[in-house]
Amino acid sequence: MGGRYLARKAAQAILTIFAIVLLNFVLFRMMPGSPERVLLRNPYLTQEKIAQVRIAWGLDKPLIPDQLIRYVEATVSGDLGYSLKFRGTPVSDVIGQRFWPTILLIGLAEAIAIVVGLAVGAYAGWRRGGRGDRIGSGISLILYSMPYFVIGMPMIVIFASGLGWFPTSGMLTVGATYGSFADQLFDFARHLTLPLATVSLGLIGGYSILMRSAIIETRSEDYVTTARAKGLTDRRVLTAHAFPNALLPMVTIIAINLGYVVGGAITAEIVFNWPGLGTLTVDALSARDYPVLEGVFLLLSVTVVLANLIADLVYGLLDPRVRS
Amino acid sequence: MSAALPAAPVETRLRAERWRLRVQATRAFARRYLRRGDGLVGLVILVVFAVLAIAPQLFVGPLQTATTATGSSLEGPTSVHLFGTDELGRDLLNLTIHGARISMAIGFLATVITIVVGAIIGIAAGFLGGWIDNVLMRLTDFFLVLPTFVLALILAPVILDVIGVEAELFGIRATLLVIIVVIGVTSWATTARIIRSQTLSIRERMFVDRARVIGGGSAHIMRRHIFPNVINLIVANTVLTFAGAVFTETTLSFIGLGDPFQPSWGQVLNAAQSSGAPGLGAWWYIAPPAACVVLVILAFTLVGNALDDILNPKAVGRR
Repeated sequence: MGGRYLARKAAQAILTIFAIVLLNFVLFRMMPGSPERVLLRNPYLTQEKIAQVRIAWGLDKPLIPDQLIRYVEATVSGDLGYSLKFRGTPVSDVIGQRFWPTILLIGLAEAIAIVVGLAVGAYAGWRRGGRGDRIGSGISLILYSMPYFVIGMPMIVIFASGLGWFPTSGMLTVGATYGSFADQLFDFARHLTLPLATVSLGLIGGYSILMRSAIIETRSEDYVTTARAKGLTDRRVLTAHAFPNALLPMVTIIAINLGYVVGGAITAEIVFNWPGLGTLTVDALSARDYPVLEGVFLLLSVTVVLANLIADLVYGLLDPRVRS
Repeated sequence: MSAALPAAPVETRLRAERWRLRVQATRAFARRYLRRGDGLVGLVILVVFAVLAIAPQLFVGPLQTATTATGSSLEGPTSVHLFGTDELGRDLLNLTIHGARISMAIGFLATVITIVVGAIIGIAAGFLGGWIDNVLMRLTDFFLVLPTFVLALILAPVILDVIGVEAELFGIRATLLVIIVVIGVTSWATTARIIRSQTLSIRERMFVDRARVIGGGSAHIMRRHIFPNVINLIVANTVLTFAGAVFTETTLSFIGLGDPFQPSWGQVLNAAQSSGAPGLGAWWYIAPPAACVVLVILAFTLVGNALDDILNPKAVGRR
């Protein structure tokens, strides 16, 4: 891969991340009331104490450049400030505790959705207009129209409170003691099933619709006609020629989609009270815990930018045409 | 008067001819649209919900509140309350039908903002070109990459704190105004990209040169020549934007950014969630608003896809 292509993409990503940090800085300072009042939330402060705090926090210095530079320095070194709700706890610790449940949920859901969604989409596109296509596309379109919580709430009503197969909320049974690690894992899996099914179903709709149109596009390409003319079986034309080429645009789409997935997964987490970043975000939202909100936003947007960068690089590796 | 009528002036004849062509084109379009089964289903659903949204009180009376609630708490469907009641004893049929108005109104206004912002930025970038194009497109790329939903989440409370909860415009309360603005601010980027590429091709057309030759300025050309032409081309995109706006509104309201006094479907589902309806098995609390959300988003998507196939010749055969 050309070094210039790589360098340009990396520079763009760094610039975007810097713009996100800047946006965070501006947003927090747009709020009414001075920071020390908002942060201390104490009406009985003396003037001397306020002045002291202002100096300690550097608020006596001008907003730009002094405060901005300090903000960028702190952010780069991983200091995201302190949570207002969980008094005194650093934001990075608060987020750190909630990070893994979300990663696990979204990671597994993405894996399931990519496999199922791409398979359904490829089949529907290949058999365009057939019965399988009509059923598959119809279901995909309905799933695509459903916000995650609209999938999740009926799931609870049917499979948790109705049939009693799965617990309604949480990640582990509250107050349970486990005889072995296997027991704990089983309990965890039981809690994970419904949220995982919800997020996966939400994703499958979109992926299969996009894969279907990608396959339909490749179907009219010359190399597919050539493959047919060579006398390959229908199945072989699909798996060896059409499918790999249709996968190309999907790489970018899945990466760009990641931001929406994380956003949407927030609502799935609320429905199942899953202790991840989503429930954290909503708790922070109702408590107006801005440092935590900004930390979550920063983390998610940087993740998405990096995912896009990786997608660009992967795309460059797979498709020589884009490198120029 | 009795003498033979002189031939109508050229201008009148031209106008009549233009009118005839327009009617013909509309008819051809209608014929092609009517042949699309899915687009027709979507259209019928949208018309039904539009009627509900325009006059909800005709069907179920005024919006019930905690004080005017007519039922008891969390009652299943009965002959009096066909859809059951919520935890405050409000009739869910009443809430759902009134929710149509709020959800559709927010979706509509958010779509208008999205299209206006997208059109201004897209046309300016495509028509003016040069460094303006560069700057605007970098900005657009930035918004395309950002997880806009999460941005909406942090923007909403900040804006609300800045303007205060008491503000009101055209009878829409501040909380909902913020949702409208936030959806607009975070979703114009896609529209701007599409409009820019359309502008680039329209800019090269003869009538733009002609307008310039007779002394039209850039602002005039963009407003009178480019804008009407790109708007025709993004009808399908607008309908799909509407679907996205309803989707985002529902999600934001569900998360708790809605207004309990002007409940949209997302807000009703938020109330259902916080009153523990799923765990209690109160399916009647969840099913009506959830079904409406899915139906409306699905209908917009079907109509949008049908329009896209008909109006956008390049897309033919893609679906």
